[in-house]
Amino acid sequence: MATTTATITLSSADLLGDNLSLSSTTTLYDAGTTTGLTQYEMSRVTVPSSDTNSILIDSTAASVNKAARVYVANKNTDEVHYVVISINGAELGRLYSGDWMFIPWSQTDAAADLEVYCPAALSTTCDVEYALFHQGKTFTAA
Amino acid sequence: MATTTATITLASSDIAESAISLSNTATLTKAGTTTGLDQTSGISRRTLTATDTVKLIDLDHYQGQTLTENKAAKVYIKNTGTSTANYVKVSIQNGAGAGEEIGQLYGGDWMFFPYAAVWTSAAHTNNHDIDVTPSHADSVTLEYIVIYE
Repeated sequence: MATTTATITLSSADLLGDNLSLSSTTTLYDAGTTTGLTQYEMSRVTVPSSDTNSILIDSTAASVNKAARVYVANKNTDEVHYVVISINGAELGRLYSGDWMFIPWSQTDAAADLEVYCPAALSTTCDVEYALFHQGKTFTAA
Repeated sequence: MATTTATITLASSDIAESAISLSNTATLTKAGTTTGLDQTSGISRRTLTATDTVKLIDLDHYQGQTLTENKAAKVYIKNTGTSTANYVKVSIQNGAGAGEEIGQLYGGDWMFFPYAAVWTSAAHTNNHDIDVTPSHADSVTLEYIVIYE
């Protein structure tokens, strides 16, 4: 068993009338247990310019409704650049340069892929880093 | 202009041969600019005591508050409970008006993600509302904030 933690700190001195200072740490467990997740993948990819969703992380049968966690970051530096993040075609939102996201990912079925595109109108590619912490994956025969 | 930062730290000393430590700080800016996001729902709490699906973020409530769709909005949601057995399912309505499950927040879990916030109609039909569904009728409290433009 491994112990992996994810901590978020949200801070602002001027978004609200008072300081915003929010911090939360969670330990990444297998679903419904206190056993730590033991498997992970980390990658950096260049997403081509296109208005069509591509699979960033493929949903896998072994993780259906398990406790996978996904981190994604847009590593471009031009503030105009963004990638669009979706699950099975349902758009979550736009990650602009420097932005990151962290979500639990149910992978409810084979179609529940984590998808991305780097809009053609930007006329550029988008560098994306991601990490997946999970309980298992289904391997396909070579 | 407000300056708001979101920092994540992912750390493990034993998930691999070498320790993992990943840290990233984002300054939350308006779409395509370096101007900080300056609107927020504020930190909100909602307690659920049944397994019914409820709208945690109902876009109809933001129509007078300039939550502009397809910009750089961000959403933070935390399950403030302690149960490692019970969870709250978080879904986003897709363009067809059906819920697409994002993931399950167990006690102590949090999520932070960009939010397209596409609003289509006052009848909710195709709005990209955020819905939550507890796995158990035990009381569970969610903490959440929307930061937007």
